[in-house]
Amino acid sequence: MSAVIHAARGGLGGRRLQAVIIGLVALAATAASTLALGMLVDSHSPFDHAFAAQHGAHVTAAVDTSVATSAQLAATTRLPGVTASAGPFATVSVTAKVSQPGIPGTRPYPLQIVGRPSAGGPVDQLTLDSGHWARGNGQIVLSRDVAGDLGSATITVGSQKLTVVGIANSVTNTAQAWVAPSEAALLGGSGRGQAQMLYRFANAGTSSAIAADIAAVRAALPHGALQDTASYLSVRQSEQSDIAPWVPFIIAFGVIALVISVFIVVNVVSGAVIAGTTRIGVLKSIGFTPAQVVASYVLLVAVPALVGCVAGAVCGNLLAIPLLKQNAQVYEVGVLGIPYWVDVAVPLAVLALTAAGAVPPALRAGRMSAVQAIATGRAPRPRHGYLAHRMLARLTSAPRAVTLGLAAPAARPARTLVTAAAIVFGAAAVTFGVGLAHSLDKAFAETSTASSLPVQVSAPPPAPPAGAPSSKGGGKVGPMGMTAAQQRTVISALAAQPGTRRYLPETDEDLSLPGLGDHVSVTAYGADPSWSGLALITGRWYSTSSNAPEVVVNTLFLTDTGTSVGSTYTVNSGGHRTTVRIVGEVFQPGNDVDIYMSPATLAAVDPGAGIQSYAVALQPGTNAQAYANALSAALGNSYSVETHSRGGTELVAVVTLIAMLTILIMIVAGLGVLNTVALQIRERAHDIGVFKAIGMTPRQTLTMIVCSVGLVGLVAGIVAVPAGVYLHHGVIPTMAHAANSGIPPSLLSVYTPWTIILLALSGLVIAVVGALGPAAWAARTRTAFALRAE
Amino acid sequence: MNALVQLENVTKRYDSGVAPAVADVSLAVGPGEAVAIMGPSGSGKSTLLNLIAGMDRPTSGTVRVGDQRVEKLSETGVARFRRRQVGMIFQFFNLLDDMTVLDNVLLPAQLAGLRSGAARKRAEELLVTLRIAHRRDAYPARLSGGERQRVAIARALVNRPAVLLADEPTGAVDSATGEEIGALLLELNSSGQTLIMVTHNAELADRYTHRVIELADGRVASDLAARP
Repeated sequence: MSAVIHAARGGLGGRRLQAVIIGLVALAATAASTLALGMLVDSHSPFDHAFAAQHGAHVTAAVDTSVATSAQLAATTRLPGVTASAGPFATVSVTAKVSQPGIPGTRPYPLQIVGRPSAGGPVDQLTLDSGHWARGNGQIVLSRDVAGDLGSATITVGSQKLTVVGIANSVTNTAQAWVAPSEAALLGGSGRGQAQMLYRFANAGTSSAIAADIAAVRAALPHGALQDTASYLSVRQSEQSDIAPWVPFIIAFGVIALVISVFIVVNVVSGAVIAGTTRIGVLKSIGFTPAQVVASYVLLVAVPALVGCVAGAVCGNLLAIPLLKQNAQVYEVGVLGIPYWVDVAVPLAVLALTAAGAVPPALRAGRMSAVQAIATGRAPRPRHGYLAHRMLARLTSAPRAVTLGLAAPAARPARTLVTAAAIVFGAAAVTFGVGLAHSLDKAFAETSTASSLPVQVSAPPPAPPAGAPSSKGGGKVGPMGMTAAQQRTVISALAAQPGTRRYLPETDEDLSLPGLGDHVSVTAYGADPSWSGLALITGRWYSTSSNAPEVVVNTLFLTDTGTSVGSTYTVNSGGHRTTVRIVGEVFQPGNDVDIYMSPATLAAVDPGAGIQSYAVALQPGTNAQAYANALSAALGNSYSVETHSRGGTELVAVVTLIAMLTILIMIVAGLGVLNTVALQIRERAHDIGVFKAIGMTPRQTLTMIVCSVGLVGLVAGIVAVPAGVYLHHGVIPTMAHAANSGIPPSLLSVYTPWTIILLALSGLVIAVVGALGPAAWAARTRTAFALRAE
Repeated sequence: MNALVQLENVTKRYDSGVAPAVADVSLAVGPGEAVAIMGPSGSGKSTLLNLIAGMDRPTSGTVRVGDQRVEKLSETGVARFRRRQVGMIFQFFNLLDDMTVLDNVLLPAQLAGLRSGAARKRAEELLVTLRIAHRRDAYPARLSGGERQRVAIARALVNRPAVLLADEPTGAVDSATGEEIGALLLELNSSGQTLIMVTHNAELADRYTHRVIELADGRVASDLAARP
């Protein structure tokens, strides 16, 4: 055994370049695969971890206790399939008055408060972030989201002053705040009784299973008792969609890197074994058995591969840290990391792959007779490519160094094909990465008004008079509109300001709509809404002149309400209701439901809503910041003038990640070319010496070697472009779907003819850059040294 | 006599601490001369030939071929020098297996940028002269040792070099073929081709060259006219 190890060690010393390439490729393959697989697994795990830890509720049900009795509710907990339950917990919906330090007056804040005796229980065990649970009347525990909004606020509901004593988190957001049951009774007053029931079911893995569970509960209660239900699957999908949009492209890059690495490993290993034929012959001549030869050769490959795999696993984990850290913090599930099985399985798989590439050529070499191997004198010359040399030699219009290079790939067609495949994947990654970056740039531009309306003017709302009604719309949050005087002032300033192109009066409201939650974002534009620059996926913008109220909504609205463009929908908020027709689907991905409507339509559901700001489009060539400064000076300190830039750091971060992954894959593909050229030079070192001896200059040598992969790179690049575009057209909709959205056609139309031509050259660039190093080395090599090469 | 090839105090040392392969060699070869370089294995014969061809660089000393200081040329310059001034013949032929006889012979002319028609004409002439025109489309693997060496000679001559350098040209062929190759080289020399040939074969040296330089341990041991 020690002889085998010594032989392998000696072989490694003599083939440092191959060893380094094997190690680097194994590293890149392992890192990319570990990252991709780890991200894929962990994209589902944070919520699942938290849900399991908190015994989260599969279904949260709102029940009317004036219709269902306590006994009937208790009976539902004994239904077949119910494994655990909690409740009924009294629920009250109030509009609290919130006063925050440093902000004069109070502001209305809608709160759904649940009366619970404790944070624990068989279902929905709340995590207390800080403080303690409500121990009696006058105390309230806020949910993490609400606490983030309100900070250290004082909360008053009616005449009840509530002290915030703790901050808690429910994995399925079962309430915005919790109080003791006795306090809930006080807050509920004489209104109709509402309560919350929390259920866990034996069969709750799919939407249909949950629907069946809910149907069973509904059937067990009197008609109308079950008012509303929320499935944990909806929350799960919503929570995951923060990271989910990025997962498809990370996986795409990871798979590309893995496939390229497979090609390179196969090339490296078979090339290294072929190049070592003479050495194998010598080993056999001194007494090595075929098995020992095979073992020493597999070791020769396995050692650098093992080092690369281990280093790759470490790199993959390190790369995953920043991506997973945020999720871990959000869900308080400790440190999220790459699962152990991924850390073990991926390196083992890459190592097995490497060994699989090494064994067949090693077995072939093991079977070769010692005399045959030694007599070969160098790697056996292929019998391919003669015709190519003959044909290209007739091509007298091209320099001979070029035709010599162009004929070279035919000598080893299998290696050429594998190298071409690696370049195809590398160039496809470039095409995909460029398209992805352009699409994301467009996505950020088309989901924000910052590009078309870069300046926004607003005025602080007047303080509401003491004792005024807490909410006009029932669920309205945020500032009141500008006064008429303020609007006139802003309009005249905009008219007088050079550079103003047009402006769009804007109202932004958060409405609480049944079935859609408390924070449905409603935007009303007081002029042509298409000026906003927001992209439509289907349909058209609402018409302000139409008699029938029209709205444009995002995809999540359509999904959550089961509607489509052309449907009608009744907006019901705070006692006001109006039926609208959905005329367009706007591109607004994310977890928020967005509705765009005219001010007149908004007034029907929120009569108090007024213009809050003016979004300003500028004349071409106008500097937004200079314009904003001038407008601010004209309006004075009573008005706020802000500029908006689209994308910001998130876009930069994502595009940087895409660029890094693309460059990483280009480097890996370039390493594949480097390996091919290094093998080619090693095998043809003697021929190169002959070329030099008969007058080939270093420049001609360089040209010959670069051309030997240049044509392969060019063809591979041309093949790669449609592959990359196809991948792009598959991944972008997947990303959008993960972000709860469809896509506007513009997001796919990112490849211009010029872009395609340039991208088609990426294969050539990979090939040339990969070949340059070894080609330059060969060009510099002394003729006598090359001639002595075996 | 104006020397075509002139070496002055040429030393080539591959590793410090070991004896030089060529030590302080000075010699001159005139145009049209046929010179044999002889000596035991490791005496520096092939190294000397490589230094003249510019395939290796001396550690010290000067190598002049025609009006060019070979050791001072850049890698590109030395490649161009080899195209025009030097033709090389090797013991093991060093033909390119994946090219036909004609393509092997044409290659130096094509690398030198000679017009296609002229290069082809010259190559065809040489194949006829060297009596291998009938094998012009064959691959080297199909040729006998003598045929291969004749192809190598044709390739060495295609650019009309000033000096033909032959490293053991008969070392890999049988004695009859060796005789044939020797006669061919003599014929070339008779037509004015300067020839420097490294050989172990004293008889070949005596019969086909005018002068024999003996090397021992990298130094010139003797420099004598060949025995008639």
